[in-house]
Amino acid sequence: MSVTRKLIADLRLRLGHADPMAPPPPLPEIARPPQRVFPSRRERSAFAASASKHTTALVGIGAVGTRYATDVVLQFQAELAVAHGAVGAELPDDWAQQNGLLPLQSRVGNHREFLLRPDLGRRLDEESRRRLEERAQKDVDVQPILADGLSAVACMGSGLRLLEAFSTACRGRGLSVGTPICAKFARVWLEDEIGEVVRAKVACILLGERPGLGTGDGLSAYMVYQPSIGKTDGERNMISNIHPRGMPPEVAGTRLALLAEAMIRQRVSGVELDLTGLASQLGEAAGGGYRAPQERVRLVEVLT
Amino acid sequence: MILEPILPTILSVRRIPNAHPDVLRAYGADPARHASLGLLTCDQDDPTYVALDEATKQANVEVVYARSFYAGSAHASGRLSGEILGVIAASDPDEIDEGLKAVVRCLEHDACFYSADDTGSIAVFPHVIASLGHYLSAQAGLAPASSMAYLVAPPMEGSLGLDAALKAADVVAAKIFAPPTETNFTAAFLSGELTACQAAAEAYAETVVDVANRPKA
Repeated sequence: MSVTRKLIADLRLRLGHADPMAPPPPLPEIARPPQRVFPSRRERSAFAASASKHTTALVGIGAVGTRYATDVVLQFQAELAVAHGAVGAELPDDWAQQNGLLPLQSRVGNHREFLLRPDLGRRLDEESRRRLEERAQKDVDVQPILADGLSAVACMGSGLRLLEAFSTACRGRGLSVGTPICAKFARVWLEDEIGEVVRAKVACILLGERPGLGTGDGLSAYMVYQPSIGKTDGERNMISNIHPRGMPPEVAGTRLALLAEAMIRQRVSGVELDLTGLASQLGEAAGGGYRAPQERVRLVEVLT
Repeated sequence: MILEPILPTILSVRRIPNAHPDVLRAYGADPARHASLGLLTCDQDDPTYVALDEATKQANVEVVYARSFYAGSAHASGRLSGEILGVIAASDPDEIDEGLKAVVRCLEHDACFYSADDTGSIAVFPHVIASLGHYLSAQAGLAPASSMAYLVAPPMEGSLGLDAALKAADVVAAKIFAPPTETNFTAAFLSGELTACQAAAEAYAETVVDVANRPKA
C-alpha cells in the first residue's frame, strides 16, 4: 500500500468511518528474471564471444534490455572497490624492518603527495641517501629494490616472494646480489639513483603496478643496465602482471635473472638488448608472442 | 462516503518510437539526446504529474511536456483529452516502454484524488511522495530523492487546508499555486522530512473534509 493510501485509510478511521477503504486493483504479476542472467546474450556476437576468451576486459557480457545484467554491475563495482582500496593503501613505516629489508623513502612526504607528484617519488630524500651510502653493499652485479609503487597491497602481498625468487635465481647464475632494499613512496625511476649510489651493474625495482579492475595485487619489475639519474624508459626492460592469476612470482624471478644476465653480458638494456636467443625461456616477457588469457576472478556470485 | 478514492482513468497511451525533430523540439525535447516519445492523457491532472515523476525514477526518461487543460476534464475537447497531456522523451523506445509502464502503474495503484464529501463533488489530493524524481524535484526547486507533500483541493478548501498543513508539521512551502490553476483548483508543494510531509498531508485532508462539511462555520 502506498504512503498516501495508508495515510488516508488511517484518517478515515479517525474520522469515524470504520468500514475499510476499497482496495486498489491488484498489482500485475512481475515476470520472473531469466534463470541465468550473466551471459544471456553473449553468443549473439561471435566476435565478442571469442574476444572474451582472451581478456579479462568487459566484452561479451550481454545485456538485459538497455542495461547490463545485475551481476555484471555488481562484479564491476566490486572490482573497482578492489582497485580503489589498492591505490589508497599505504606501506606501514616499520614493514621494511620487520622483513629484514633496508628501509628507504623518496622525497614524498605523504600518500596524497605521492599520488600527485611523480617527480618527488623518483628521488631519495637526504636521510635515505645517507643510510644507503652507509649500510648498503657496493659494486654489486644486481641491486634488487622492493617498493610500494601504486599498490602497497601488491608489495606486501607477493613482493617478498618475488624478491626472494629473483635474488636466488641471480645467485644461481653466479651474479652477486646487493643488500635487499625496500623503498616507500617509490616511482620506477628511483632505481636509477639507488643503483647509482651502490654502483650496481643492473638495478631492478619490483613495485606494485597501477591497479586495474579486480587486480590490486599486481607487481611489475623494471630493470636497467648501469643505473644513473637520467636514464630513459627506452633503456629499461620490464615484466608486468606478476600476481597469482598472471605470471607467478617464481616464474618472474627466473625470467628477471635471465634478463639481468643478458644485460651484463651485452652491456646494454632496453630496446637495444637482443633477446632473440632467449625468447623460448622468457615466454611472454620477450614480447610480441601469444599471451595466455588471464582468469577473471568472480567476486560476486548471483544465486539463480 | 468520504475519503473514498476517485480512481483516475487513463484515456490514451501512445508512443512515437522515432519522432520527427520538429515534433521533438515543439514538445521541449532535444533531438540530439531524444528520439522517442511516450504520450498519455488522463482525466486527473495532478495524479498524472506524480506518475510522470515516478517514470523518471523507473526509467531513463525525461518529462519534456506536461500541461493541464483549462477547466478540467468536465470540459474536455474530446473523449480522449481528459485533463492533461504528459509527454516523456528518451533516446531509446525501450526506455519509453518502461517509463509508460511506471506511469500507468502509479496511476492505477498509488496517486488519485479522494472524495471530501458524501456527494463526491469535492475532491482532495493529499499526496505524499517519499522520494522525488527528476521532474517534480525540478518543478518544486527541491533536491531529487527528497520528500514532498503534493496538496491539491478546490480554492476555499485548499486555502484553509494549506494553512492547517503548514501549522501541523515541520514543513516549508516550496511552491504555492494560488487559485485558480488551469483546472480552477489551488495547489501547494510542501517540503520536509517524510514524517512531517505525512502529518501535513493528513492535516490538509482533514481540514478539507471539515470545510466541505461545515462551509459556513
